[in-house]
Amino acid sequence: MRLQLQNFTKCFDGTPVIEGLDLTVEDGEMLALLGPSGCGKSTTLFSICGIYRADGGRIMFGDRDVSDLPSQKRNVGVVFQNYALYPHLTVEENIAFPLTVQKPRPSKSEIAREVRAIAELIHIENLLERRPAQLSGGQQQRVALARALVRKPDVLLLDEPLANLDAKLRLEMRSEIRRIQLETGITAILVTHDQVEAMSMCDRVAIMDKGEILQIASPTEMYRNPVNKFVAGFLGNPPITFLEGHTATEGRFAMDQGLFLPLPSRLRDLPAGQRISLGLRPEHFGSTGTAQASGRIVFVEPQGREMLFDVEAAPGVVLRSVQPVRDDVGVGDEVTWGVDVDRMLAFDMDGQTL
Amino acid sequence: MSSSADLNTGVARKSRRSDRRRPRISGLGLALLAPALFLLTLFFFAPVVLTGIFAFTDLSTSTGIGRGQYVVTPNLLRQLGDQGLTEDDATAIASVSITIDEAGIARATEGGVDPDFLSEIADRFAGESFDDPRAFSRELRGLPNAPRRPRELTQTAEYFETSVLNTRFDNPEALTAQLADVAPDVSSDTIAWIVDRSYTGARFTTANFERLATQKETLRLIGNTALYVAATLGLFNVGLGLFLAIVLFYTPKPVTSFYSTLWLLPRITPLVLYAIMWKWFTWEDGFLPIVAEQFGLPSFNYMKGSVVTAWMTMISLNGFIGASFGLILFSGALRAIPMQQLWASEVDGANRWQQVRRIILPQMRWPILFVTSYQTLSLLSSYEQIWLTTNGGPGRTTTVWALEAFTTALSNYTGNLQYGLGAAMALVLVVVGLVLSIIYLRLFKFGELVSRPKIEL
Ligand SMILES: Nc1ncnc2c1ncn2[C@@H]1O[C@H](COP(=O)(O)OP(=O)(O)OP(=O)(O)O)[C@@H](O)[C@H]1O
Ligand SMILES: [Mg+2]
Repeated sequence: MRLQLQNFTKCFDGTPVIEGLDLTVEDGEMLALLGPSGCGKSTTLFSICGIYRADGGRIMFGDRDVSDLPSQKRNVGVVFQNYALYPHLTVEENIAFPLTVQKPRPSKSEIAREVRAIAELIHIENLLERRPAQLSGGQQQRVALARALVRKPDVLLLDEPLANLDAKLRLEMRSEIRRIQLETGITAILVTHDQVEAMSMCDRVAIMDKGEILQIASPTEMYRNPVNKFVAGFLGNPPITFLEGHTATEGRFAMDQGLFLPLPSRLRDLPAGQRISLGLRPEHFGSTGTAQASGRIVFVEPQGREMLFDVEAAPGVVLRSVQPVRDDVGVGDEVTWGVDVDRMLAFDMDGQTL
Repeated sequence: MSSSADLNTGVARKSRRSDRRRPRISGLGLALLAPALFLLTLFFFAPVVLTGIFAFTDLSTSTGIGRGQYVVTPNLLRQLGDQGLTEDDATAIASVSITIDEAGIARATEGGVDPDFLSEIADRFAGESFDDPRAFSRELRGLPNAPRRPRELTQTAEYFETSVLNTRFDNPEALTAQLADVAPDVSSDTIAWIVDRSYTGARFTTANFERLATQKETLRLIGNTALYVAATLGLFNVGLGLFLAIVLFYTPKPVTSFYSTLWLLPRITPLVLYAIMWKWFTWEDGFLPIVAEQFGLPSFNYMKGSVVTAWMTMISLNGFIGASFGLILFSGALRAIPMQQLWASEVDGANRWQQVRRIILPQMRWPILFVTSYQTLSLLSSYEQIWLTTNGGPGRTTTVWALEAFTTALSNYTGNLQYGLGAAMALVLVVVGLVLSIIYLRLFKFGELVSRPKIEL
């Protein structure tokens, strides 16, 4: 079911946390709500499921306006960050709970059938007798997911579902959640502040900052063409390097530290003397490229498959490079590496992409 | 080489381990601990031990707390008469005899009788006995130095009268000898019986428990106590406490703190003030009866005027004290339930009632059990509130076990305080309390197994 927030506003104690937000999640789509801590992700999520009441705007599930419905009537499934399983109930009872509070209450056999079906989908058939305290984090996560899905909700909301898992489980659950979402075809919103999670699990990513959605796009699109400096800086690990300076003659970019780089070809027409900043992603500085930059390696960080180099091109200008593992260079070496100039991002002084 | 080295370390390890296992008790440590242990014993065990001892005695105001004596009183003879002492034996024991002996002379001298007269009596009648006081008086009148006035004469005669009645003996042998002397016809068995019963001090007996086990009153007391504890606990300490805690849980914060304080008032008000307040509230011209009158409802002294209202008063006034305890404990336990669980249940479709019944209450098991057990014990042994208000009335309809024990042992109108019986009643309470504690402790363990405790006390 298509989910829409129209001009949605939410205030706490009179101060707006989110103002006039518009968001559409298409039917069957999984959208990531990505943003730094405190930007209003959970608030948005809780308003969609009715835990918080919207202070303005409309929330539409398909053609149904649910803005004024209590959460009981919205038919959403929510997976909370700490799973919020009921500790006194078994896994089976936990999953059955949303069904048993329905009116009219489905028959016992019907409930049992539904629980079994969802347990099979989520691969927890063998845990049904246990209590939450007897489950690992990943198992609890699955139970919470089963409980959220058993009622066949119109929308599935996930609030940082992977935050409490270790790295390996996180990888596993990432693909599990995506598999289940695809299999059920449910419309879902995933709240996270982990960009890898957002990009790997979702069809589209909505990036949020200070209660505003800055950009909604597919992960690749957003990575390649961020709308502004914040998005560019937020996505990418290791992060992008920003170079401050101004345009110079002959299609060149002059850094404040006196270094020169060619401007990306699409920006050659800019008048000289305009202040801009360039963004250079680490993978665009390395062995190949249309321009060269030289400097001294000041820091090396092996990351297994790849290596991260910090190259000081001028005092105060550190360019970062990610390259396949190599041991021919080390800290202190002078290197001259290629810069993929046309893939560099450029921003004006307001941070908007040029 | 290496194997012997292994052996060595093995031995060393073993001895080190045994060192660790045996705790070192130093003399100094013991000496430092001793006062604490002593006080601990004194304050915790002494009351129970003393109660246990007193419970098996007939200690009362009349026996006194010290060593008793042996006295045959007219009262005792009457009692024994009811229990099979024959009329003849009783008369024989109560009889008065007159013997002119050293002791009599000495008593008379002390009493200020004319010495000349006395020496005449000694010369004339020494060693003689009379059965009839009047015959002795007649003989005395014949003596030259006899006083003129008949009253003086009778008084003098009385110094020579001896009777077992009302004479205090320090040991049973003396009394036995005296009784055998006075009433030679009474069988020695009967005398032994009388001597035994004439002891005025406290003695060991199981009569208290026999009495508790057989008297009808006991059943009533048990019934009253059970009703009192169950109703106060169920309606107020747990029921109202839980209800308020849940209502306050769903109420905005400022209101909550105000009401929490309000509900604490009964607990922090001095008991006497609280009792007076309830009197003002429920007596004839008090608040409730006046209000009731306005509405045309029966209006009378609710505290003592009828059995039903007395019970209602007693249960509510105790309940409001206990409710705050439950309220505080339950509120704490409620706040310990993660908010997200409650959100989850709402999103899952549960309404308020389902949320309370299915999510909140099951998780309140542990605090409910705690309040129940703790308050059962304190209600069982509390009587002060009842004593200060209904005082067990009307009649004895609201008398509970603890109050009865208290009045029996420490406060009643007849003035004869039966410490022994009171102690026996108290001991019963202690035993019941212990048994309940053990049961509750078991339950707690069980509770711990099923769900981890939410509150740490
Ligand atoms: N109950 C509340 N009362 C007042 N302010 C709140 C409340 N809940 C959240 N806020 C504020 O609203 C803003 C958004 O909070 P929200 O919980 O939505 O952040 P978030 O994006 O989920 O962050 P995180 O990633 O840390 O969970 C924050 O500035 C927070 O301080
Ligand atoms: Mg959050």
